[in-house]
Amino acid sequence: MTDDRIDQRLRELARDYHRPPAVPREELWARIVAERARRRAAPRVLALRPWLRWGLAAAAVLVLGIALGRLTAPATQLATAADTTGTVAYRVAATQYLTRTEALLASFRAEARTGRLDAQFAGQARDLLTTTRLMMDSPAARDPRLKSLLEDLEVVLAQIAQVPAGRAGEEVDLITQGIEQRSVLLRLQTAVPAGPGARVQGAL
Amino acid sequence: MTVAPASSVDERELIARVRAGDALAERALYDAHVDRVFRLAYRLAGDDDLARDFTQETFIRAFERLDSFRGEAALSTWLYTIATTVTLNGLRKLKRRGREIELDHAAEVAGGARRAEPDLKTRLYAAIDALSEKYRTVFVMHDVEGYTHEEIATALNVEVGTSKAQLSRARAKLRAALADFAGDWIT
Repeated sequence: MTDDRIDQRLRELARDYHRPPAVPREELWARIVAERARRRAAPRVLALRPWLRWGLAAAAVLVLGIALGRLTAPATQLATAADTTGTVAYRVAATQYLTRTEALLASFRAEARTGRLDAQFAGQARDLLTTTRLMMDSPAARDPRLKSLLEDLEVVLAQIAQVPAGRAGEEVDLITQGIEQRSVLLRLQTAVPAGPGARVQGAL
Repeated sequence: MTVAPASSVDERELIARVRAGDALAERALYDAHVDRVFRLAYRLAGDDDLARDFTQETFIRAFERLDSFRGEAALSTWLYTIATTVTLNGLRKLKRRGREIELDHAAEVAGGARRAEPDLKTRLYAAIDALSEKYRTVFVMHDVEGYTHEEIATALNVEVGTSKAQLSRARAKLRAALADFAGDWIT
């Protein structure tokens, strides 16, 4: 018997493989409506795993640094100048975060192609994941485009943070596929202003 | 009941209404696509509760991220991409936790003796379960659920040629796994 005929028989027999029951449309819709309402109402909760505590500590240092910078600014500055300093400090921090994330994802994608992954990726992804979540809860998330980008970054960074060192299998392929599918790098590059100076000093 | 696919104009209008917060449009979008999403989730998961969970999560994510849908592919293809991602990631999580669905059952029947057709089916299902994730996904989507290679390629973010090659390899593996049934293939 030819392979084609066998394949045809296989397809016929496979029709009953995990044959689905009738779709519970109403029940599913009710669940979707309820779950969306619950998520809208529920505050975002961070699970404080050991690595997350370290990440939070690092992020807290960043926030503290910005706050100290604002507090110790020369007292002779006008209020408007102080506001500008705070805004610039925030923008610098956010731009640095986006630049670091872009660099991490670009390196991750490049190394994934070689089939070997450095252990540092997971650690860096954890750090950036913490900052991402802080950003999501900050006024930055009021911008719909940035909010959408942060949500995608949260997913991608969480996945990278869980990849064991040295392993570049299907899991890594899926992560890189996710990066491509959602045009994450392109959107990051758009969010980070162009030019060497802007990478540090520019506005979002 | 399956709702006929909307024309591209209707679909654009529907998407615009959903983005504007129209609850009826959300329901219409759900009605148009829930059957295929649920069927795909069920075929891949083989479990009613999981299929419901994956379908629910697919639509929640779709509604949340509809703003990022750029219309480069059909909305249905975009939805299937979310559905496959949600389902495969969900199954991987379960696998990591050591709760792979029906693994014991699959292992038990895989080594069974050659008998009549019911056993052939059982062996076939075990052989499908034993395929690697990428082969099983392409086989189920194409040969069981009738997705085109273009839809599969978009959903899995691979080339069309890759989808075809993976299907060919999946079939070859199934043929090899059931080689001792060769005489019973056509009855």
